[in-house]
Amino acid sequence: MTSAIIKTLIGGLLAATALSGGAFAQSGPIKIGVVTPLSGTYTPIGQQVRWGLELAAKEINAAGGVAGRQVALVFEDEEANPAVAVQKAEKLFQVEKVDFLTGTVNSGSTLAVAQLAERNNKLAATTVSFADSITGDKCSPNMFRVNARAEQQSVALAAWLAKEKPKAKVYYLGPDYEMGRSTVAAFKSSAEKTGSATGGEVFAPLDSKDYTQYFGQIRATRPQVLYTSVAGNDTVRLLTQLQDFGLLSGLTVVGASGTVTSQNITAIGAAAEGFATGVGYSPQIDRPENKKFVEAFRAANKADPDLYGADSYGLLFAYKAAVEKAGSTETDKVREALRGLTWQTPQGAKTIRAGDHQAMQPMYVVRVTKGKFDIIDNVAAENAIGPDACTRF
Amino acid sequence: MTAIDYLQFVLAPQVVNGLALGVAVVLVALGLTIIFGMLDVINMSHGEFYAIGAYAALALAAAGVGFWFLLVLVPVLMIPLGMAAERLLIRPVFGSKDRHVTTLLVTFGLGLIVEDVLKIIFGANTQRPPTPIPGASEMFGIILPNYRLFLILVGAAIVLGVAYVVYRTRLGAMVRAAAFDRNMAASLGVPVSLVYAGTFAFGVGLAGLAGVLLAPIYSVFPTMGRDFILLAFTVVIVGGMGSIWGAVVAGLLLTQVQALASLVISPVWTDPIVFGTMVAFLVFRPQGLFGRLGHA
Repeated sequence: MTSAIIKTLIGGLLAATALSGGAFAQSGPIKIGVVTPLSGTYTPIGQQVRWGLELAAKEINAAGGVAGRQVALVFEDEEANPAVAVQKAEKLFQVEKVDFLTGTVNSGSTLAVAQLAERNNKLAATTVSFADSITGDKCSPNMFRVNARAEQQSVALAAWLAKEKPKAKVYYLGPDYEMGRSTVAAFKSSAEKTGSATGGEVFAPLDSKDYTQYFGQIRATRPQVLYTSVAGNDTVRLLTQLQDFGLLSGLTVVGASGTVTSQNITAIGAAAEGFATGVGYSPQIDRPENKKFVEAFRAANKADPDLYGADSYGLLFAYKAAVEKAGSTETDKVREALRGLTWQTPQGAKTIRAGDHQAMQPMYVVRVTKGKFDIIDNVAAENAIGPDACTRF
Repeated sequence: MTAIDYLQFVLAPQVVNGLALGVAVVLVALGLTIIFGMLDVINMSHGEFYAIGAYAALALAAAGVGFWFLLVLVPVLMIPLGMAAERLLIRPVFGSKDRHVTTLLVTFGLGLIVEDVLKIIFGANTQRPPTPIPGASEMFGIILPNYRLFLILVGAAIVLGVAYVVYRTRLGAMVRAAAFDRNMAASLGVPVSLVYAGTFAFGVGLAGLAGVLLAPIYSVFPTMGRDFILLAFTVVIVGGMGSIWGAVVAGLLLTQVQALASLVISPVWTDPIVFGTMVAFLVFRPQGLFGRLGHA
């Protein structure tokens, strides 16, 4: 009796798999897997990724889909942990049979998922990860990046700084781990190329309570500019303590794009005034496409889009353009179509560089004025992209 | 950099800033050394009581209570909380054979719960109360914010006040007697169980006071309790468990070591120096600088 039921069940299951694998594959929806942090510290970023993708999918589906097929998003929580990301991505490729994968936030997750995509012969893209290596020395023929990488941000910021404070003496203060050291090194090399002098550098432990112990060295160096890449609570403490010690007067503070964010800007208060950074997106970009996007995003999610939401939104349109150009969702054809593709996004036209799969895009310099980021400068895509360091393909 | 520049801009401010940090550490360690040294309870949730104090100050300040009144109000509000924690969590496991392990685990668990509750109530984002005394003073070219100057003075006053209560009053004598030999103290009429609860609550109140005082400098967020807890334990061990003067000397000494060492070596290495000192003390002088084992 029982064995008969099991046989029926298995038979049914096999039939279902055969159906979905065969007949439905070309006419059913295009499945896009999204492995993104839906829990843990990076939840706010994952939230933006999800909102951006869902809005894009809704708009694309309402306008007839991709090459006549609807887009379906399948979400998995990566917990910003590369090990979990790999497991969930494997599941999406093997079980859900997704055609395309995106969503990873942590740079480690993106690098791990790139290898997995190669093994499964599928394509993936990140809309968030900054690490230069993803489209540099660890580039993958199956991974694309549509957001600005660390170097694009620092090139844009350095170009603005050279105009604002020519030949300034810069002091560097970074958190003492991989991200902190690489951001400081990247900005230092960009700033020195545009004529800035280096006054000194210090790396403070992550979660430092008191930054006052570095103030003596900063004071003695007498810098005109302070570059910092601390984040979260660390920024609150660093900037407010600098203010308490009267060090902010006459000092231009610049930093990484994650240093001052909507999460900590209120706590920093007046000490954040004048802080400038290089970014690939701001809701204030004055283009009709962006105004329309921001309105639709607000209406759908009751929140402003940030760079993660905007870059994730733009990605689906790149995929749509590539699939329609290729006339298929086959990996090799879509890859060829994505290479060199130029498409429109809220922040302007982006072009995927064929040599390293990095999107070229206009960059912006934003500065805190009265507690809000204002766009004060922009840098053309070609001037911010930096050399192609990918040698694998 | 010239020698004068170095002295004025680097060395002297480093010592003064180290002193301000030292006072902050002593303030947190004070309640810990009382609970640890006198009650023999390893209170891992001490940092979270410090965080509760800071959040209480933030919430009450938003409701319009002035900073000066908060300095009194928050510690008073913390006392029933401390009493309840002692009654409900510490006492049931206090009599067990592995008292150190059980109290450590119970308070560690309590700390984790408090951290998440704070996150649920107040959100994960950092908040920061305004500095009650704005501005900075300059002396001999050394700039120190007025609030840090105030903190150093208030810290000294609090230490003296607590030392007076513990060492010079009848109440303090009862606490020390109960800590030294609870059966003898009980037979002489000391209400031991009330004294225990009261002492625990007093330590918790001190943690809350430290939270109110330090929030404007170090900002307020759910995991802020972890900031000082390791350093505070180190101070208690190096100074001698239960010794107030030990906590003061060790707190100021260790933060100076940290401040000056960070001039010569990478700041990341100052933590291993401080915790290495703690390990050395545990091995070679477990009673600490001023402690006498078995005496509070």
